[in-house]
Amino acid sequence: MPKVAFRRAPPDGPHPVAVPVAEGTPPPSRFAAAAQAARFTGRAGQALLLHAPLPALLVGAGAGASPADWMRAGGTAAAHLPKGESEGAAHLVLDARGRSAAEAAAMAAGALLRDWRFTRHRTRDVQPGLAQVTLLADDPAAARAAWEREAAAVQGCLLARDLVSEPANHLSTRHFAARLEALAAHGIAVDIWGRRRLERAGLGGLLAVGRAAEGPPRLAILRWRGTFDAPPVVLVGKGVVFDTGGISIKGAKGMHAMRADMAGAAACAGAMLALALRRSPAPVTAVLPLAENATGADAYRPGDVLTLFGGRTVEILDTDAEGRLILADALGFAAATYRPRAMIDLATLTGAIVTALGHHRAGLFGNDAALMAAAAAAGEGVAEPLWPMPIGERHREDLRSDIADIRQCAPAGRGIPDACHAAAFLSAFAGDVPWAHLDIAGVEERRAADALGPKGASGFGVRLLDALIAARFEEPDHHADAPRPSA
Amino acid sequence: MPDIAFVKPSLPRSGALVLPLPEAEGDAPPALTGLAAEADRAAEGAIGRALEAAKFRGRKGQSVTVWAPGGGPSKVLAIGLGKEPGAEAAEAAGGAMAPALASERNALVAADGLAPALGASIALGALLRSWRFDRYRTREKEEDKPKLERIEIAVADAAAAKAAFAPMRAVADGVFLARELVSEPPNVLTPAELAERLKGLERLGLEVEVVGPKEMKRLGFGAFLGVASGSALEPRMVVMTWRGAAKGKRGQGQAALQKPLAFIGKGVTFDTGGISIKPAGGMEDMKWDMAGAGAVAGLMAALAGRRAKVDAVGLVGLVENMPSGTAMRPGDVVKTHSGQTVEVINTDAEGRLVLADVMSYCQERFAPRLMVDLATLTGAIIVSLGHEHAGLFSNDEELAQRLMAAGKAVGEACWRMPLGEAYDKGLRSEIADMRNVGGGRAGGSIVAAQFIQRFVRDTAWAHLDIAGTAWSSKDTATAAKGATGWGVRLLDRLVAEHYEA
Repeated sequence: MPKVAFRRAPPDGPHPVAVPVAEGTPPPSRFAAAAQAARFTGRAGQALLLHAPLPALLVGAGAGASPADWMRAGGTAAAHLPKGESEGAAHLVLDARGRSAAEAAAMAAGALLRDWRFTRHRTRDVQPGLAQVTLLADDPAAARAAWEREAAAVQGCLLARDLVSEPANHLSTRHFAARLEALAAHGIAVDIWGRRRLERAGLGGLLAVGRAAEGPPRLAILRWRGTFDAPPVVLVGKGVVFDTGGISIKGAKGMHAMRADMAGAAACAGAMLALALRRSPAPVTAVLPLAENATGADAYRPGDVLTLFGGRTVEILDTDAEGRLILADALGFAAATYRPRAMIDLATLTGAIVTALGHHRAGLFGNDAALMAAAAAAGEGVAEPLWPMPIGERHREDLRSDIADIRQCAPAGRGIPDACHAAAFLSAFAGDVPWAHLDIAGVEERRAADALGPKGASGFGVRLLDALIAARFEEPDHHADAPRPSA
Repeated sequence: MPDIAFVKPSLPRSGALVLPLPEAEGDAPPALTGLAAEADRAAEGAIGRALEAAKFRGRKGQSVTVWAPGGGPSKVLAIGLGKEPGAEAAEAAGGAMAPALASERNALVAADGLAPALGASIALGALLRSWRFDRYRTREKEEDKPKLERIEIAVADAAAAKAAFAPMRAVADGVFLARELVSEPPNVLTPAELAERLKGLERLGLEVEVVGPKEMKRLGFGAFLGVASGSALEPRMVVMTWRGAAKGKRGQGQAALQKPLAFIGKGVTFDTGGISIKPAGGMEDMKWDMAGAGAVAGLMAALAGRRAKVDAVGLVGLVENMPSGTAMRPGDVVKTHSGQTVEVINTDAEGRLVLADVMSYCQERFAPRLMVDLATLTGAIIVSLGHEHAGLFSNDEELAQRLMAAGKAVGEACWRMPLGEAYDKGLRSEIADMRNVGGGRAGGSIVAAQFIQRFVRDTAWAHLDIAGTAWSSKDTATAAKGATGWGVRLLDRLVAEHYEA
């Protein structure tokens, strides 16, 4: 990460100063003529590089109404900073004078999010990122304090992006577990379970899904103690390091994208890092099932009946609907072991959610209206938007099995609401714990660069989880006595 | 279809006796009172004993049949209403009793212990569930045909129940019209034939105008006519007008419509996909690609049938989408009534082209107070929501909330779906104002709604994507599997609750 500094006046040197301008407000008078000539209006995403009277980069802040608008302005500045031999290339100066501390911090966050790049596997012509971001602020100390909070979420997000970007040969279940163990350095207690403990605890879904791969299944349990004594909030993330589909093998087209099928687990790991970096008072535990869904002589089959955590039997129809099996184990295990205040799971779960909501919103399901509303509000605030989706009676009926307690999905056919089916399946394992399920398929990677990131891994969910926990779970349970509304 | 009559309570000498019973407190069968108690006495307590033995508790969905208990009826059917039954429970009970009574000629429902309005709701449920489409069965065995000719509902106040039932009957007739139109095969129900049937609604007091291709051309319906161009059958637009709002002293004749409510229906009588042809499997379902038009027609019939105090217009675009030498091609650019141009990327995204012209015309001519369109628009909505909810898209919070509430009340539920700039971007074209589809399957229903929204002016608007709800592959509480008539009751309720003077 580049160094982030705060000061009152611009540093000396040839660096252009990036000046965010909200739509409908006039740019600083010395740039007014140029802005008008170039039809710069302050629209979100707009950028105008000026060389005279002094080097400057005007960037649009859109409505300028929310911190997210200023965050996008910071990102737009990072994206349009001139590249090349000039000395200014690695140093972004952002003018946040006249803005609040929170808005200044948001601008810095936007710049870092946009500037992130994954260069670990490039050996030639590596484009270096920003070395430094300097914020000009009226009250540098206040802005720095706001930034330190924000920086935690940014670092968490970038960790998630790094993990999602890693190809499966570099991020096997073993590698992934090792990366998670490294989080212990930040005060997170990490426990990695292997096959024997999974067998003893009865996580039959995770064991079956991970059975055919050379890299063994793992359950990673990350604990952040917080400062008060209460049952934890539990985060569950799907960590399929590569998904071939198993025996129900996927088509070859686009299969490479399945390296990102662990984006849910990566988001939870990123959120844990964010909480630890900002010393969150909330006790939070992440339960991350890790597996590779491979084909092989020992692979689980369509038609098999598995016994998942808690003894519930599941008829398998499609080995490519593996995510819900390992999540069901993790949710059931967490509900029984921790009696959590709430459980939130994230998973790149279904293609159906992409058909439903496209690449702009993740699907939100759950059993607790208040928790779902809080999650949706957190997402809007950090530009990781959700949309509520239904779990209906018919969706549950569709999962009745002829020979087991439940079947994992409906038989393949036209027009199957598979995202709703998957959520209905998971709801059986969440039991009566307040629970929200985020189907993040379609948003785990950006299909094109935007103001908050380049094309590729988005880290979707980290900043949302961080904001949700900050807004709702950093005091001892004040919701405990309230009646729980049903979704 | 059975006749419905409301009568004073008295024991029948033959036929079936139906006992709709609310759930009892505690673990006991519901107490038999009134007519039910009389029947039990006439049967020397056999009914009460049977309900006890069958552990009947009156729970919603529970039912017990007692054969020839003595005292007259050939069978007694007890149906649970659940606790504190409302209209929905009464309808469901009526719906449940219809198939159970199919082999009887007469049935008497002992609703004397219920409010008269609930008696009417039982009748409505029974009626809705009894509807069947047998026009094309020529060899049905006598024993397979439903026999039920008459249902008598015994209530304390027959006149009140009858008055409550009259508007329900009109709405049921609207539902039946919609179901019938949806069930008709596409070789019979051509655009012209469908228009002809709608013309028949004039008998209810609706004004019905039929517009043909020449007039459409004059109006500039380039998108609609593009869809029609592949078929040998001529397209039609039908405009149905209901003037029911109180007109003060002017009262008589053709008073000017004051900002009517507008309802728009997609009426593709058969959708092959056109040049972007659909796969063969399941293509027969595409006869119900006119279900939006069917629902709008049913709604207008319902409003007229119950003399609703409102001004409303219903516009439907009727057309067949076929591949042929004259068909519209992927790549064609068409000009819509609004003046906006559309690059047709996929000829199977035709419904939105039809709606675009009809909606634009409707706003120009009627300046409606609000506009709701219904369309079996996308397969994506089925993948999104399944069959329990229609997708609801709206630019108006109040209208959206009212639709959600009305849908919940009549068992035609909607689920709100998002709109937004990010989705609209998918419609950008290199050479025209927009394309008719986005880049792929992602967010398909939302992108379709964004397309339609481009033809909405300053109007409160809602779009209902009913591809998952127009047809049911399972029996429901108030409909046998097949055409549901989804939307008629929802919109009738919306109008009745909020827009009648």
